[in-house]
Amino acid sequence: MSRLRLEGVTRRFGGLVAVDNVSFEVPAEGVTAIIGPNGAGKTTLFNLISGSLPPSAGRILFEGADITGRPPAAIAAAGLVRTFQLVKLFDDLSVLDNVKVGCHLRGSAGLFGALLRPASVRSEEAAVDTRARELLAFAGLSAFADEPASGLPYGRQRMLELARAMAAGPRLILLDEPAAGLNTEESAELARIIRRIAEEGTSVLLIEHDMTLVMNTADRVVVVDFGRKIAEGTPAEVRANPAVIAAYLGTGKPARDAAVMASGNQETARG
Amino acid sequence: MADWSYIPQVLVSGLGIGCVYGLIGIGFCVIYNASGIVNFAQGAFVMLGGMITHTLFARNGVPLPLAALIAIATVALLGVAIERVVVRPLWNRKATMFVMILATLAAQIVVERLTLIAVGDQPKTLPVFTDRPPLMIGGVAIGFQLIWIIGGSLTIVGLLAAFFSLTKTGKAMRACSINREAAALQGIPVSRMLALAFALSAALGAIAGILITPTQYTAFNVGVPFAISGFIAAIVGGFGRPFGAFLGGLLLGLLQALAIVGFGAGLKNVAALSVLLLFLFIRPSGILGAAK
Amino acid sequence: MTISPAITSPERRPLRLPGLLPWLFAVLVVGYAMVVGGYAATVVSFALIYAVFVTGLNLFMGFAAQVSFGQNAFAAIGGYLSAVLTATYGWSPLPAMVLGIVAAVLAAAIVGYPALRLKGHYLAMGTLAIGLITYEITVEWQSVTQGYMGISGIPPFGIGPYEITSDRGQLILLSLVVAASLFAAARIRRSRFGRALSAVAGSEEAAVALGIDVARYKLAAFLLSAGFAAMAGSLFVHVVGFVSPEVFGLHMVIVTFTMLYVGGIGTVVGPLVGALIVSLLPETFRAFKDYQDLAYGAALILLLIYAPRGLASLFSPRGRS
Repeated sequence: MSRLRLEGVTRRFGGLVAVDNVSFEVPAEGVTAIIGPNGAGKTTLFNLISGSLPPSAGRILFEGADITGRPPAAIAAAGLVRTFQLVKLFDDLSVLDNVKVGCHLRGSAGLFGALLRPASVRSEEAAVDTRARELLAFAGLSAFADEPASGLPYGRQRMLELARAMAAGPRLILLDEPAAGLNTEESAELARIIRRIAEEGTSVLLIEHDMTLVMNTADRVVVVDFGRKIAEGTPAEVRANPAVIAAYLGTGKPARDAAVMASGNQETARG
Repeated sequence: MADWSYIPQVLVSGLGIGCVYGLIGIGFCVIYNASGIVNFAQGAFVMLGGMITHTLFARNGVPLPLAALIAIATVALLGVAIERVVVRPLWNRKATMFVMILATLAAQIVVERLTLIAVGDQPKTLPVFTDRPPLMIGGVAIGFQLIWIIGGSLTIVGLLAAFFSLTKTGKAMRACSINREAAALQGIPVSRMLALAFALSAALGAIAGILITPTQYTAFNVGVPFAISGFIAAIVGGFGRPFGAFLGGLLLGLLQALAIVGFGAGLKNVAALSVLLLFLFIRPSGILGAAK
Repeated sequence: MTISPAITSPERRPLRLPGLLPWLFAVLVVGYAMVVGGYAATVVSFALIYAVFVTGLNLFMGFAAQVSFGQNAFAAIGGYLSAVLTATYGWSPLPAMVLGIVAAVLAAAIVGYPALRLKGHYLAMGTLAIGLITYEITVEWQSVTQGYMGISGIPPFGIGPYEITSDRGQLILLSLVVAASLFAAARIRRSRFGRALSAVAGSEEAAVALGIDVARYKLAAFLLSAGFAAMAGSLFVHVVGFVSPEVFGLHMVIVTFTMLYVGGIGTVVGPLVGALIVSLLPETFRAFKDYQDLAYGAALILLLIYAPRGLASLFSPRGRS
């Protein structure tokens, strides 16, 4: 069964059609990437999937259940968690506490638990602490555990956002341009972490502009342009698709990306 | 309980106070449009309008029209002073909107207390502008002060309309309110616009205070209730639309007048505040809908 | 399984001296008042009552970073219910206080549900309106509240047969109440509930994406805050013996916000420190009673400009004590 299925999802803003009748499936295994030129409607698509925006038409099914138009918190509770294009950390909390917030869904202590702290709550807190530290280690952030999140360098902030999202124990994680602003080393590290996440059973759906990252991590690629799906397949298939190459033709980066894909050479051309 | 035969009379006086609320509400909108701030010191301007005029007139023997003009000018300057001393530093430090509201509220308290220390706590009043018996129109007594209030307010609203659409400065202010960054790029001195907005808003408040004082009184603590009424007027009219605020003020004055007839004078503030809550919960964009 | 201290007792941290200073200050002041008694004890008693109120305010405005100009309304509900029930109907103080808190929390639930969906200045004004409406009701509902005249002859606080009439007795009771309040705030801070509040404060969008029901947590913080306010209001009327609408009016709003910012918004000990400092300072200028509110207003403006996270934040690194 697919993890996520979009059926004819459309979103209009007045006269503008941001997402136009998009349908695809995200398999339970591995990493799926959504690529496309700027303004193609990718983030809007994420907003529709995660529940921040209701679609104008179409259905979204998560593990067979219809999540179309459900509120974002409920969708997160169902196992679908997203990160944001512009990092939204909890600035006043420490790095460790940020990840602990991510563990919110896995706990149940409320106000009375906070005040009275019975044994069940104490052990829940201990488990949360353990899990949060494990995730920090996974993301390479252990050294920063007690620092305020806002003090982290940008690359590490993105990793923190990723670790925090993973803390919620999602079965599908949506990553919105996780590599934006990262240098080559950080991107490579990110690619490794994304593959590990997928190997450990969480499906990954990501939006990316960094073609090297996409080609290195994705098992399937969906190409979107002007809100419409124009191609779908393995990286190799998509790379050779003339419609995709045409969509990317232009000056500067998009043309180089097209060149990367067309030539199949993954070592050259990095933004 | 309710004596409905007084309705036309009550409505007319409700219109009068409504004009005053409307002027104050326009003041809120002008500042909000220029800066995104809700200036809670607005009430202080209203209070000072009447208070300074009274002090000049009663203590120093200045003729009433001149005293009024000096008062308006002084209060306008005070508006700029508050902008420079309180608002600008917070603005430059990117303070949150709540902090700005709190700071302007604190400024209101400071002005209030200074006034208390300067003139004491006795209420003061001004003589009516035209000392003649009221006009009787269809069984309704219309005092001359009421005519001054309504006439004065309408004139000012007209002048404002002309200012915003015909003069260069007025158009520049409107540009600032629509898009501050674009206006700055066009060479409009945005910070000077902010000072001007405060001066204009303060002047409007002062005029409102001067117009209404002859029919009631002024004292160091009348500022806050007026500010709240002006704010309600602005919300009802659709925050950000100056002329909507004026209409909102009229509506509020009428509703309040009806509430007084129906429930007694004591509950008039509760009536006004309930109107506010109603709009906030149900239609925060006001009757006309939000600007932009 | 390796168990390190950090995992078994997550709240144990190396104690840092600067973080301890505010606590030390508070203990010293209260201790001094306890020893000296008399007028000092009275002043500190009032400060402690405010500290309870500001702790609640801090939960809503510091921990959850929301806005409310109307918490004094809930203090009024708690205060007036206690006053009317004990003075007019002869109730015992503790049940009256409990009822006052319950009534305030109910009122907060009814009002909070629509109000908390507002944002920005709409929320600020909506809560201000709530505070003002409550003020008007206390003035107008004369059959119950006696309007401006107020209600006098309110008995001192007591639990069962024990009435607390001495200055020192009051001080001890209030110190215990404040200690319990701060303890509750500290416990909330380091809990799943408190983290959710901080998440709502940090980024509502991110909080929602992690499954946190933002609306529910905002309402919970609002109700908590109302409960603290009601308790403070009730304590106040018992300590003073008299209540009138002015007690819970705009003056209280300004004073309590000044205390919140002086002490340090978002910290645990901030409300206590702020309440003590703001209550004690005017005592050194007792001759200038008229200038009090003027001083509060001016001080608040300066604080907001130069120390927006409160004075305590200038001492502790990041406001997390």
